[in-house]
Amino acid sequence: MDTAVDTHTDNLRDTLWRPLAGASRGYALALAVTFLLGAWGLACWGYQIVRGIGVAGIRRPTMWGLYLVNFVFWIGISHAGTLISAILRLTDAGWRKPVTRIAEAITVFALMIGAMFPIIHLGRPLVFFWLIPYPNSRLLWPNFRSPLLWDLTAILTYLSGSIIYLYLPLIPDLAELAQHANGWRGRLYRLLSIGWTGSDRQWHALERAMHRMAGMILAVAVSVHTVVAWDFAMAVAPLWHSTIFGPYFVAGAIFSGIAALLVAMAIIRRLLHLEAYVLPVHFDNLGKLLFLMSLLWFYFTVSENLTTWYGNSPAEMNVFGSRVRGPFAPYFWVMIFCNFVLPFLLLSSRRMRSVRNVTIAGVTVLIGMWLERYLIILPTLSYPRLAAATGFYKPTWVEVSITVSTFAAMAMFYLIFCKLFPAIAVWEYKHGSHR
Amino acid sequence: MEHRWGMAIDLDRCTGCEACVAACHAENNLPLSDPAEAEKGRAFHWIRVDRYYEGEFPDIRMKYMPVLCQQCEDAPCEPVCPTYATYHNAEGLNVQVYNRCVGTRYCGNNCPYSVRFFNWFEPEWPEPLELQHNPDVSIRPGGVMEKCTFCIQRIQRAKRDAKAEDRAITDGEVQPACVQSCPAEAMTFGDLDDPESKVSRLAASGRATRLLEDLGTKPKVFYLQRAK
Amino acid sequence: MVLTADFGDPQSVASAIQALKARGYRADEIDVFSTAPVELAEALLERPSRMSLVAVTSAVVFCLSAIAFVHYTQHDYPIVTGGMPIFSWWSTGVIFYEFTMFGSISATFVMFLIESGLLKRRRSLPAPLLEEGRIYLRLFCEAGDAVPAAECLYEAGALKVDEAEVRG
Repeated sequence: MDTAVDTHTDNLRDTLWRPLAGASRGYALALAVTFLLGAWGLACWGYQIVRGIGVAGIRRPTMWGLYLVNFVFWIGISHAGTLISAILRLTDAGWRKPVTRIAEAITVFALMIGAMFPIIHLGRPLVFFWLIPYPNSRLLWPNFRSPLLWDLTAILTYLSGSIIYLYLPLIPDLAELAQHANGWRGRLYRLLSIGWTGSDRQWHALERAMHRMAGMILAVAVSVHTVVAWDFAMAVAPLWHSTIFGPYFVAGAIFSGIAALLVAMAIIRRLLHLEAYVLPVHFDNLGKLLFLMSLLWFYFTVSENLTTWYGNSPAEMNVFGSRVRGPFAPYFWVMIFCNFVLPFLLLSSRRMRSVRNVTIAGVTVLIGMWLERYLIILPTLSYPRLAAATGFYKPTWVEVSITVSTFAAMAMFYLIFCKLFPAIAVWEYKHGSHR
Repeated sequence: MEHRWGMAIDLDRCTGCEACVAACHAENNLPLSDPAEAEKGRAFHWIRVDRYYEGEFPDIRMKYMPVLCQQCEDAPCEPVCPTYATYHNAEGLNVQVYNRCVGTRYCGNNCPYSVRFFNWFEPEWPEPLELQHNPDVSIRPGGVMEKCTFCIQRIQRAKRDAKAEDRAITDGEVQPACVQSCPAEAMTFGDLDDPESKVSRLAASGRATRLLEDLGTKPKVFYLQRAK
Repeated sequence: MVLTADFGDPQSVASAIQALKARGYRADEIDVFSTAPVELAEALLERPSRMSLVAVTSAVVFCLSAIAFVHYTQHDYPIVTGGMPIFSWWSTGVIFYEFTMFGSISATFVMFLIESGLLKRRRSLPAPLLEEGRIYLRLFCEAGDAVPAAECLYEAGALKVDEAEVRG
């Protein structure tokens, strides 16, 4: 029994370490493309800083636009990781092992990107640090009652927590890599593995810490997306001021997080030749989870919209009408199709839940959830309470460029990550061979 | 404290002439917008005249409603500002400190009256209009929020004058630009804490309503119209 | 004196530890090394941990400091806020919560570093080079007891026992 497992893990190590070594032409090309797109986004941001936030399409009354849509979207994606890997770790789901690191890395990168957007969105981005409490010459502290301050603390806590959560289980792999690598890689791995020797004290401490971190990161992740929801729900604007927003956003975040994880898994599996480790059963299990979240999301959407429609209050009905039959209706129905109809068809029966179909559902859910954030932010702003102020938003090329570039940046971070660190936690995968 | 400034606008008198809008522009150094920007909804009007129609076309009656910052007692814009750029001063005015503003625009979204204006770019004035700036009012940089101040510079001046002459401010002494320029004399400005002031008496009259009163924002602008 | 024994399976490691404990060795004189965590019976090698206690304490400390800090900042340099409360439990609760969680997360990380011994370089001198599937047992013992301890290890199923001197 031991030998069979050992050859399997040996192969895993070979499979995982091979991509770390050289860089193929395709890899270099992908890195170059994503880098250029990302750099273009940065250039656009520079242009926006120099010229003024007005180069974006935002206006009165839609003072928040694509940047905030992306903010909510990326923070949602970040729940892929940590949250899912934490739930799977806490419930000790054995099949999680090949997917946790993929998920945790998504979290860190998506958070880094998502946290940029509120700054990009500021009218005076260069003084964003005025939100941070420090004694200053203005003799002022920030307003801790503003949901934006809640955001700041929640996201910083989540970011530091998820970096630790990604890093801890990486240490044993880094120590193992350090033994075999030389040059700058060897130095990097030795530095990052901080003297890991594989003693039982270290394993004990690691498992104990990971178990506690899983619980805490879960609590923080839920609070982060709730706070993002509260950015909207605390406002008195029609259809934002809703008590359901906290759980609705958390459910949506987990939903889009699983979708992002599925897409990343499909890509990594293909590119790093991990077909023997990331198995159809993983797609099947996550597909079920995605299906469950799709139903939950639909349930929340129905509750939210039905209560609005039945309540029939004029300011809210304006926004509601614009979504289901007005100018925002196309987005709305595409969203319903992407988030509910298609996933329902593709995921509800076992025969349909193939790797390909589950990945397709993942992609459509990502599209649908992006639209959902668009539909939450813009209709409400377009139809303020006083009809005279009604106005519609059209994104400009600057906003579109920056949006696209963040997707490229995500891909670039991931490419670099996969080149430096194994995509599957080797030791976790092996764990159990000694049982 | 010693004052609580408020305004009454008589909708039955308002002719919709927009003199108040023009006066406000001149008094408060509002940036000018070109037509393209204005079409994008980026024109600055600290006071605007909303139009409402009564009846069925062609048998309609037009009603005008000048809408400016309502200087709410419980202003939704205030608690959401992360940097205290918008806050409530001792006289109940909802003031905006341009230098503190980082431009999150949260206040703008949370204002039910949509009376907050954002400087999308550094402000520009075509020659020679930059020579006619009011020296009492600061020019706002790009990237900050601004809105009606109840012409706080005029309030300050009146207070200084009264102090120099060692007397109290008399009713009607302070007049924001919009009030001063209203040819129909539809607008009244004064101290709501003084029960004898004209604005207090108008606010207490049965004709007074407040805009979106059910939101609980407690505006200090009173609209007067015939009771139906 | 340090003995390093090489084992092929966890059962023999377990019996080796039992035998060593019967000879009077304490758990902190024994280390087990492997490339993946080894499951041993709970009581066999007790590694006392204060991680939870410290995490909870740190959470409480961070929460209280956050409350104190927010309270201080809102009353220091007081600005006129008209009707707004200068300090309000409802709307600063989120901040306190996040600080609490941050306290417990950072304490857990620090406790991981401390309890894993990664901060103590001195103890980690002769760590065996790990090989896949092997489990190594390291024992700190008196020079006089090295031979019987090694025998004890061989009896439990060690494939090989190495001796080394400890410096310092």
